[in-house]
Amino acid sequence: MQSEAAAPYFSYSNSPWPIRADLREAFLYTWDMLARPGSWLIGAERVQIAREVRQARTCALCARRKAALSPYAEQGTHDGDHGTLTDMQVDVVHRLVTDPSRLTERWLTDVAASGIRIEAYVEILSVVVAVVAIDAFHRTLGFELETLPEPVAGEPTGYRPAAAEAGGAWVPMVPLEKVSAEDADIYAGMGRAANVISAMSVVPDGVRMLRTQSAVMYLEVTDVANASRNGGRSLSRPQIELTAARVSAMNDCFY
Amino acid sequence: MMLRVSSEFAGTAAALGAITEGQNVDSGVPGQAGLISLVEASLDADRSGELPAARVQVEAELGAAALVDAAAVIGNFERMTRIADGTGIPLDEPVAAMSADLREDLGINGFGSADRTPAIGWFKQQLFRLLGPMVIRRMARQMNSD
Repeated sequence: MQSEAAAPYFSYSNSPWPIRADLREAFLYTWDMLARPGSWLIGAERVQIAREVRQARTCALCARRKAALSPYAEQGTHDGDHGTLTDMQVDVVHRLVTDPSRLTERWLTDVAASGIRIEAYVEILSVVVAVVAIDAFHRTLGFELETLPEPVAGEPTGYRPAAAEAGGAWVPMVPLEKVSAEDADIYAGMGRAANVISAMSVVPDGVRMLRTQSAVMYLEVTDVANASRNGGRSLSRPQIELTAARVSAMNDCFY
Repeated sequence: MMLRVSSEFAGTAAALGAITEGQNVDSGVPGQAGLISLVEASLDADRSGELPAARVQVEAELGAAALVDAAAVIGNFERMTRIADGTGIPLDEPVAAMSADLREDLGINGFGSADRTPAIGWFKQQLFRLLGPMVIRRMARQMNSD
């Protein structure tokens, strides 16, 4: 990763409010991870997925689907330049961004049947959510969206944790008690892994990005269950939770 | 649920209806007006024009650092909701049991994704309905002593 002085991203030099250094560090980490080959996708695909996250927000097809009684009622082509992504990959990204609460297991089965292996889908999800989080931060503060990084060449690792197993969710997950020594950091400090932490564990780097971002944007995962902790923020814990809960409710998110 | 527990710890139980009804319910949490306005203007594209005023309100009520922190929380939960909905994870069982009454009261069980979480058996429901408030107050006292 570039040094803080040299990094061209997330400078916030023109911000009217002080931006915590840990936020910037987490965002730089995310951008570095984003650009590199992942477990199943090359860097160029991962960066294009990030680009699709942004294109989804102004996509006319997505807007029609969101307004429709059924997300399957509207057909068509998603707006934007999709690079080398397949139509299904583009559709996955756009649905995750614009209409996630109406996703179903049947939909994911169709995604897998189209040729996207489930682990690759989780990697797509991990990139989408990492970019959504940072973009939402920027949008809320009125900042321009950060320039996307240049992809780094190289092949995906093809790494799938041997302990990942089906059960309880639409995707395989690695139980905390079976995580390998190599991946133990994804559950570090946790006596019990909440489902939302395990959800992307079949792609451990996805959990690493999640924990890195969550620690500075919300709380360390190990502090979440202790309602007296506010992560040293300028918001009280009730203020944090009210904000979080309202976001969740507006997203119709049951979890 | 963490809003309930954290507000108990802080000494004033929040009115949780603000979660689903926004400004129509006064949660009792200081700074609610600005925070809810910020969330709603950020998430609803049709209301994005309200963001500048929402930022001014949060900064005036809670300070610049709090505004940045609030924006970060919004970003965080834009992420977390998509992880949950994109993977079909159910509520963790203890949370499901502890929050059964809360979810019913807030109408959250009507969300489409609610069917991913198995129903809590009648006995457990009654147990947590009876013991839940006491458990939460005990958790709050224990956390206060940490």
